Amino acid sequence: MSQGAAVVEAKSDSQLIFSLQAGSLDALGILYDRHRGLVFRTAIAITGDSEAAADLLQDVFLRLHRFAGHVDPLRPLEPWLYRMTTNLSYTWVKRRQRWLRPLEDVADWLAGARKDTPAYQAEMDDSWRQVQQAVLALPLSHRGVVVLYYVNDLSLQEISEILDIPVGTVKSRLHYGRQALKQRLGLLAGEIMPELQIEFT
Amino acid sequence: MHKKSDALLGKLLKNWVNRHAPPDNGRARLLWEAARTSPNKVDLDLFLYRPQYKSYSSSPSSDWAQTLFTWMNECSFQGSLKVRLI
Repeated sequence: MSQGAAVVEAKSDSQLIFSLQAGSLDALGILYDRHRGLVFRTAIAITGDSEAAADLLQDVFLRLHRFAGHVDPLRPLEPWLYRMTTNLSYTWVKRRQRWLRPLEDVADWLAGARKDTPAYQAEMDDSWRQVQQAVLALPLSHRGVVVLYYVNDLSLQEISEILDIPVGTVKSRLHYGRQALKQRLGLLAGEIMPELQIEFT
Repeated sequence: MHKKSDALLGKLLKNWVNRHAPPDNGRARLLWEAARTSPNKVDLDLFLYRPQYKSYSSSPSSDWAQTLFTWMNECSFQGSLKVRLI
């Protein structure tokens, strides 16, 4: 890395936001490189769809570019990114439920016979798919809290500020979300799917 | 037991999410879209006439017609200009 590039990379988020407000696209690129993991992780955990997560990643940073003037450079950027990502992910999920669920029900009905095939069974036996289904089965409000807590390691207080809900509500949603996930994944009985155990070693 | 299963749940969810990665072309796509919608037109010029994936100087001299044709097409795409060859 050249010295100039190292200086640019070493800039704080605050300095980069000031640059972004002045119209610098380089600053946007550096912020993207620095925080894309955070946004993508959150989006995919809430939506369960990698293509949607990629689109939401774009959308969040385009909004950062468009509304840079409204972002306070003296405050940490992460809460703004988390808030934008969860809100856009919620919108995506709600829109999908409204428009696609009826179509998916029809498709499932038409493909009813397919469920007997070995290929379909193999697909459903995929343990990671079970994890995804367990997360996606959570109510949206519980899902957001669970994702911010377990995937992003945020504290209850941080989640409360990001989602703009009381800490007590965060605790309650986390409790019910956690119980539902553990039950679906067999963690309450101390069991764990063999394929997933490999990942922990 | 509660803490153990809690830690396990956290690892499980992280492992599931980490199986996916952001797209490789995300940065280029973002900057192009941001430049296109930016009121600051100077930024867009950064993307014009700057081939990102090919080095035209490495083409043999006999390929000049093909190189020119490719260059014109890419410039027209990047700048949203329509070039019509008759």
